[in-house]
Amino acid sequence: MWGKRAAIIALTSAVAWSANLAYAQDGYKVTPELIEAARKEGTVVFYTATDVAVAEKLGKTFEEEYPGIKVQVERAGSERVFQRIGQELSTGVYNADVVETSDAVHFQMFKKQSWLASGLPEEVIKEWPKEEYDPDGQFAAYRAHLSVIAYRSDMIKEEDAPKGLADLLDPKWKGKMVKAHPGYSGTIMTATYAISKLLGWEYFEKLGKQEVMQVQSSTEPPKKLAQGERPLEADGNEYNVFRLIDDGVPVKIVYATEGTPLTVGNAAILAKAPHPNAAKLFYSFLFSLKAQQLNSDFGGLRSFHPGVKEKAGRTPLKDIKLLMPDVAGQEAELENIKAKYEEYFGT
Amino acid sequence: MAFVELVGLTKQFGSLAVVNQVNLNIEKGSLVCLLGPSGCGKTTTLRLIAGFIEPSGGEIRVGGKRISAPGASAPPEARNMSMIFQSYALWPHMTVYENVAYGLRLRKLSKDEIRVRVDEILSITKLSALAERYPAELSGGQQQRVSLARALVIKPETLLLDEPLSNLDANLREEMRFEIRRLHDAFRYTTVYVTHDQSEAMTTADLIVVMNQGGIEQAGSPEDIYQRPESEFVARFIGGTNIFRGKKISADTVACEGGLNLRCGSGSFAAQGDTAVSVRHHDILLSEHKPTASDTNAIAGTVARQIYLGSHRDYLVTIPGGETVRTVAPVSVAIPVGQQVWLNFPPENCRALAR
Amino acid sequence: MASSAYATPFNRGIDFSKPVFILLAAILAVLVLFPLFWLLLYAFTDPARQFTLMNFVKLVSDPAMRRSFGLAIGMAALVGVLACAIATPMAWLVARTDLPYARFVRILVTASFVTPPFLGAIAWEILAAPNSGIFNILYRVLFDRPTDDYLFNIYSFAGLVFAIACYTFPYVFTLVANALDRVPSDLEDASAILGAKWLTTLSRVTLPMVVPAMLAGALIAILQALTMFGSPAILALPAGFHVITTKIWSLFQFPPKLELAAAAAIPLLILTILLLRGQKWILGRKGYTVLGGKSGAPRVTELGKFKPLALLFVFGILCLTVIFPYAALIKTAFTETIDASISWDSFTLKHLNFVLFDFSATRLALFNTLLLGVLTATVCTAISLVVSYLVARKSVMGAGILGVLATAPVAIPGIVLGVGLFLSYANPTFKLYGTLWILLIAFMTIEMPAGYQQLSSAFQGVHPELEEASRILGASRLKALWQITAPMLRTSVVATWCFVFIGTIRELSATILLTTANTKLVSVIIYDLNESGDLGAISVLGLMLMVVSFFVVYIASKMPLGAGRLQPRG
Repeated sequence: MWGKRAAIIALTSAVAWSANLAYAQDGYKVTPELIEAARKEGTVVFYTATDVAVAEKLGKTFEEEYPGIKVQVERAGSERVFQRIGQELSTGVYNADVVETSDAVHFQMFKKQSWLASGLPEEVIKEWPKEEYDPDGQFAAYRAHLSVIAYRSDMIKEEDAPKGLADLLDPKWKGKMVKAHPGYSGTIMTATYAISKLLGWEYFEKLGKQEVMQVQSSTEPPKKLAQGERPLEADGNEYNVFRLIDDGVPVKIVYATEGTPLTVGNAAILAKAPHPNAAKLFYSFLFSLKAQQLNSDFGGLRSFHPGVKEKAGRTPLKDIKLLMPDVAGQEAELENIKAKYEEYFGT
Repeated sequence: MAFVELVGLTKQFGSLAVVNQVNLNIEKGSLVCLLGPSGCGKTTTLRLIAGFIEPSGGEIRVGGKRISAPGASAPPEARNMSMIFQSYALWPHMTVYENVAYGLRLRKLSKDEIRVRVDEILSITKLSALAERYPAELSGGQQQRVSLARALVIKPETLLLDEPLSNLDANLREEMRFEIRRLHDAFRYTTVYVTHDQSEAMTTADLIVVMNQGGIEQAGSPEDIYQRPESEFVARFIGGTNIFRGKKISADTVACEGGLNLRCGSGSFAAQGDTAVSVRHHDILLSEHKPTASDTNAIAGTVARQIYLGSHRDYLVTIPGGETVRTVAPVSVAIPVGQQVWLNFPPENCRALAR
Repeated sequence: MASSAYATPFNRGIDFSKPVFILLAAILAVLVLFPLFWLLLYAFTDPARQFTLMNFVKLVSDPAMRRSFGLAIGMAALVGVLACAIATPMAWLVARTDLPYARFVRILVTASFVTPPFLGAIAWEILAAPNSGIFNILYRVLFDRPTDDYLFNIYSFAGLVFAIACYTFPYVFTLVANALDRVPSDLEDASAILGAKWLTTLSRVTLPMVVPAMLAGALIAILQALTMFGSPAILALPAGFHVITTKIWSLFQFPPKLELAAAAAIPLLILTILLLRGQKWILGRKGYTVLGGKSGAPRVTELGKFKPLALLFVFGILCLTVIFPYAALIKTAFTETIDASISWDSFTLKHLNFVLFDFSATRLALFNTLLLGVLTATVCTAISLVVSYLVARKSVMGAGILGVLATAPVAIPGIVLGVGLFLSYANPTFKLYGTLWILLIAFMTIEMPAGYQQLSSAFQGVHPELEEASRILGASRLKALWQITAPMLRTSVVATWCFVFIGTIRELSATILLTTANTKLVSVIIYDLNESGDLGAISVLGLMLMVVSFFVVYIASKMPLGAGRLQPRG
């Protein structure tokens, strides 16, 4: 009996290995066999840092596209997702199939730990810019978004509104701002690193004295704007602001004159995914034009898929001065960023 | 052979021996009273017999079979005994009927049989009308009878009673004493009855076992215990008595303080040291005149107190040497306080006590 | 030998108490000692598990860490003071005066007790956030103040103290009210007959007698405040400060500093033990708080013309702790945004819809929460029942040790236990992390002291002779326990079950470190939703949780248990 089992394991891993080799070069296709196998598994578990409503909507769309496969969306802040994956995998708990966070550093670490499966969907290889996916095919840029300044246009007049990061240090914004936490949000971690490189830590030291309301996730500042709890956000997800605008909330985005930090959200399949086929099917769905367009329309996310059409009224990426992420540099600075931040902001 | 045997029974809590080397044989069908002041070990002895606690030494045998010994005791439920508790321990969530039927249900009797047995015992204990009541709805005496009925209905080999009447008022207590004796005569269960009340023991017991400081002071029939105490403790504990102390000066005479020499009609004398002599209150003759008899067993004293009690008068008389003697006299003998009286101690009523 | 047909008892079964004792001792030791062992090991070693004191040096030399300790202690002390200030007059009014609706007041206090503190904190966010808070909006509208003016700021140290006191004052209230219920009136009559006016009697006799109860309650409130995670995470982090629990939690962020987290937990553990010793000392020294109140009904003071004032005070407190927060939650659950006015136009089922149908975590979390609640309550009550039996009846040598073990977790704050359990069970040997088991273990450990305390005091009320009567008639130990003791303890057993159940569903401190995607609980998704700012969904979930728990508690109170009935008639 043991012999038979070993043989099966050997056989399946051999198949997987040869398959991986093929995917790395030109991407895998969604075949009827894959759909059938995925359906047998019945579920796919998606650890994500995207806004919960967007992620749930995506899940629902997938379930409609492939009836019989349930998507279990587990949403938390990027750093929490990361911490959770770390805790789970290092203790031998294999819950997650597909993981997505907005902190590019995470995927470097996952890769180092050999926690990711190889193989990208055909669409990524064909359509994505080369630098937006891992050369070894272990992860790819699922989304990009900006961390932006935004304000309530009914509470702050446009001419009074800040134009750039430096304007936020004006004493008139004392007690008026909300911002998210780099220890919790990958987006803010990326942004904090990019801004500290650009303006130095003095900028944050001064910002820390502005009685900023400190929230955790980068999805939260726009929601505090919507509640009217604070009229101005120092940082926060652009896509959440888009969604508020779509809902008719009077908010306006400011693309800072100094530059706006861009965050790339990668997605990957885990090597020990409990539902490997459903994971592959879902993963390929994530990068499909349909999903990417939905992310853009409903979620306000930026996409690397050239087919995605931006909604009217949104500033296209090419017109925004971007602060590009520096993954390697950020990884080295991680501890320091958190320590400095606590020093200036208290938490 | 005795039915229940306690052999060298000892129970220690820490270094304190609460029951110490107790040997006792209880005949089948007899009613034995363990009598003593609180803390004498009588209740512990009863609980050892019941099996609630395990002895530290010695053993208990019932019908020749060992049921308790250190490390080898049968649990209470395997002893076929039943017990009446000081608090009655009626279960408040069961009716009188359910309380009484409980032991029979444990024995898996048929419903009909249970009904017959319970009805019978309820009528014997005069509780039939109260069968559907809850204990909280009963008076103290009724609760006591339920407790009796519950213990008797299972027809135990041994019945244990732990101060069963101490929670009743005086009238009811007297009535229940006779009730218990009546039921014992009817059923003849081997019974162990714990009490600190000597009259309760006298009324009910075939055999009284007086306990003190974990040991048995004396065991005997009520008459034995009363008439022929073997220690000062027993004499004092059972019925009122006066104790005089002194050295033995002849084969049967003890010289006490104040020139009182008591010739004792019974008892035993201490080989060395003081011997105590017990004379019951009502065995002393009190008169205004010197008795004509010999110079022993009489002394003059002064009345210190005199109380009229309806049926008799209660006297306290101070004798030379400072001792106070308590005695009773007929109502007709009325001597005012401060006057001299003579006390006469008939030798047949003087009992010498070696202990 | 047998004298009659019924002579032979049917049961000569063996006595199970020894094996049960050993089993329980083992379970409790594992529950309590294992996490403590790992906690100490990590606190005093480096990642290579070599002995070091460096963790503590780091702890003390880090100003942020020192600050979080200072703030936590200050916050907890103020909570204690505030809780006493609210609860003591209220308890006196309810227990000892002719205040109308006293029963109703007690029920509402219980409702604030049952409310998870994190839910209360979120409700207070809705009410008193400086700009969007309903109170502040009303203040601006009613007094025509500028848009950036506010009356209250819940995101502040004072706000945190207030929000925690709202949900910890019931500890003081309950203890003081119970003590007042038991102060026999003849003590007061004795004072009155010596010529004291009622105010003198109140201040010289009645109140001094409940001071120990008040202090004991205050210490519990302080302890709760000190070890609470949810409320500080919700209110202190936006205000830009850490308390010790949130600080420990942040040490779990990537890369996790387990040794430092373990070390940071030690002072909290020591502080807790000291507070508990203090409580014991206070209660032990003035024994008269535990009175056998035999002598008559408590004396009732007539409030006379002060009645409206007293009523206003009590009603005001209840508004702050129960009525306003729940009103805010209900409003938020059914309107678009929290600042929307209340009208048919703003009424929406959007949040309800989202929680019930769109949000995939709801059902799993609700299921897990109820499952764990019921399991923990049942197992905990069963173990507590047997343990308190063995201890109360001293039926096995060394039974006392069980009591000590069952009470010990009270000294372990939730978050510390979370750290300890994570270190103990989230390793390749046990692989319990990510399962409901680790949560069950956590909840059992956390709730064991409460369950044990309740049942052991209940056992003291049952005369041992009631069990002995059953045993001598032929029932085994377990049968007597089941047929006699359990039914008589039914009320206490049900109360304990409900208490543990409620404690479980409101637990967040240990849970937050131990849940994963598949073992989500409602408390955690509420916390997660708060991080992403979805107050509408939180309100729906919070209300749902409360409704479901009240329903479960109601069902539990109707459950038959053991043989026989609860109360004698009449």
